[in-house]
Amino acid sequence: MNKLHFKVGLFAAASLLLAGAFIVYLLHARGFFEDTFHLQLAASSADGVAPGVPIVFSGIEIGRVTTLGLNDAGGIVIHAEFLGRNAKWLKQNSTFTLDKPLVGGARIRVDSPDLDAPALPDNSTMLLLTSDISKEIPLLVERVKAILANVEHLTRKDGEINATLANVKTVTGRMTGEYGVLEGVLGSPEKARAVTDSLDKTRALIGKLDSLALKVDGMAGKTDRWLFAPDGVAEQTRESLAQVRLMLDDAQSSLKKADALMTNAVAISADVKGGTQDIARLRAEIDDAVRKANALVNEINKKWPFARDPEVKLP
Amino acid sequence: MARVAPDLPLRANLSALDNIALIPLYQRHYSAAESNRQAQQFLEQLGHADIALLRDPDMTAAQRFIAKLARALILRRPRLVIDHPGAMLYDVPYPSFIRQLAAQEEIAGTWEIYDFSWNQTLYNQALHPE
Amino acid sequence: MSFLAASIESLGAKVAGWFTVGYGMFAFLAKAALLLLDRTTWNRATFDVVVKQVYFTAVQILHVFLGYALVISWLIITIILSTARDFGLTEFASEMTIRVLVLELLPFLTALFIALRSGSAINTEVALMQVNNELDALAHCKVPPMQFEFLPRLIGGVISVVTLASLAGLLALLMGYLAIYGTNAAGFAPFTQTIAKIFDFKIMAGLLVKCALFGLAVTLIPVTAGLETPKKLFMVPVSVLRGMMRVFFAIVAIEVVSLALKYV
Repeated sequence: MNKLHFKVGLFAAASLLLAGAFIVYLLHARGFFEDTFHLQLAASSADGVAPGVPIVFSGIEIGRVTTLGLNDAGGIVIHAEFLGRNAKWLKQNSTFTLDKPLVGGARIRVDSPDLDAPALPDNSTMLLLTSDISKEIPLLVERVKAILANVEHLTRKDGEINATLANVKTVTGRMTGEYGVLEGVLGSPEKARAVTDSLDKTRALIGKLDSLALKVDGMAGKTDRWLFAPDGVAEQTRESLAQVRLMLDDAQSSLKKADALMTNAVAISADVKGGTQDIARLRAEIDDAVRKANALVNEINKKWPFARDPEVKLP
Repeated sequence: MARVAPDLPLRANLSALDNIALIPLYQRHYSAAESNRQAQQFLEQLGHADIALLRDPDMTAAQRFIAKLARALILRRPRLVIDHPGAMLYDVPYPSFIRQLAAQEEIAGTWEIYDFSWNQTLYNQALHPE
Repeated sequence: MSFLAASIESLGAKVAGWFTVGYGMFAFLAKAALLLLDRTTWNRATFDVVVKQVYFTAVQILHVFLGYALVISWLIITIILSTARDFGLTEFASEMTIRVLVLELLPFLTALFIALRSGSAINTEVALMQVNNELDALAHCKVPPMQFEFLPRLIGGVISVVTLASLAGLLALLMGYLAIYGTNAAGFAPFTQTIAKIFDFKIMAGLLVKCALFGLAVTLIPVTAGLETPKKLFMVPVSVLRGMMRVFFAIVAIEVVSLALKYV
């Protein structure tokens, strides 16, 4: 027996076997051995939908968009294909929603609340909804949480504001003491004004948050009417909204605390006109918080299709 | 015309037997076993069956010459020319060496030898040893 | 003025040189392809040499190669997965891994591996055959060097690169599955889905053609470079150097063209 030939033969046989197995697996994966299930989706807008856009069920891709075109009435018809084994997730009461996440491409989400419902027949036509708000609330809640954490960090017991305040007190103590004469030299009206400015901004922001919170309240009522979704979803939405409102309240109270501290600080520094490092830093931090809260308000306004209010102008 | 010449070397990474067997294998499309058998037969005729598995660099000048000669013989061409044997058989008295090979019973045909004219005396000595 | 003329002339000489090399290569390829159609090529002897060539190019280095593919795949998969996790893009990680490794990196590395190991050996051997007159000797014996020496090398090279790249790719798929889902079978359905999404017919055909071209490049170019060697022993290193440079450029060019076709 030729050893070389034996080895090469073994190599060839193993490779061919593996390649063959892979090809069979690939054909299986691509649904060569199964029927294809077709579905038409009617939509008002095909924005972001293109051939190849995945259709996901519980986060797992079960099909893709093949073509899209217009029907005689000018409506958009999206053709999608599913493998036979995935068709069982499509029920007559399934909803199809177009999602456009912040990262990644668009996709069509299938929700089948009742898996015992009768299956969707082949070649049927369903309605494609565009993204609903209940999807975006969790994102919003995450953002609010982050900002809240920031505010909390700023105003915590041993936080910068308190420390600064203590510093200011010491400084002012000294100033009003034997070196009180120096106050005119150390202070400058600009610096004092800067501090008051940021204080004003904070106050304005608190006002905004107030009005926003009110709006959220109003919206929670409205949402019931807005959402055609089943009860469970609406319930969840209302809960989320309540959560957002709670958080906004929280943020507001924190900012109010900061405001009070600032008022104190300004009252003291008004005496001294002490434009010290600490005051400058405090101001920067308050400004930062204000900026973040602004961004939040912006975000909420952007996210909330119903809450678009052109009068809301941010400081 | 088949030539045995210094400028026609053996294929360096093949054994002597493979070098010879190439010809029936590729020209006459014999099977590998049959080609090897024929090649081995030629080596035996020339009295050097033992060099079959040696490669070019492992052979002595005489063995290399035998392998080349067998390769030329297996071509079965009407003329066989040995070109400058002195350049290939530098370590043996080559005129008598070639004469001995040519004297084998099974070898048919005439071998022509081309050599430098000043080597003429060597051949004369080989023809007339006295 | 004369400087300008001289540089234009040298440029022209270079371009002409490239054309000669390219023409020689493609003429050789055409000759080899024609021989493939010839029925007399398909005999036991050619088959034996092909087997031998496959043995030396693929089987002999299989364990080393698979070990190397294993390490590279494991590293790349780990890097992609951890980066994807950091950026919250885990859902794209498996697709990314397969695309980067199986479609691009592993075939490319396989071609480089074979080029460095077998391509350089082929180039040296052909150059030495040319310098030592062995090719003339074969011609004198009317043994066609194309069928006997070169065609089996080309076939062996193509077979080896295609097989080794596929084996490495399969190994990488396995590693990817294990890295993402561990040893349980729960990830099988989503993994199958990802594979179905990536490997459509076009991609598979493209991958196969690319690997075959790689295999051709790492054998054809060394053979032609070796045949160009002047009959002087000191020219052998120069011939190998030139051949390997051309192989490298050809591999990169094939990869770039395949990427451009796929993503541009």
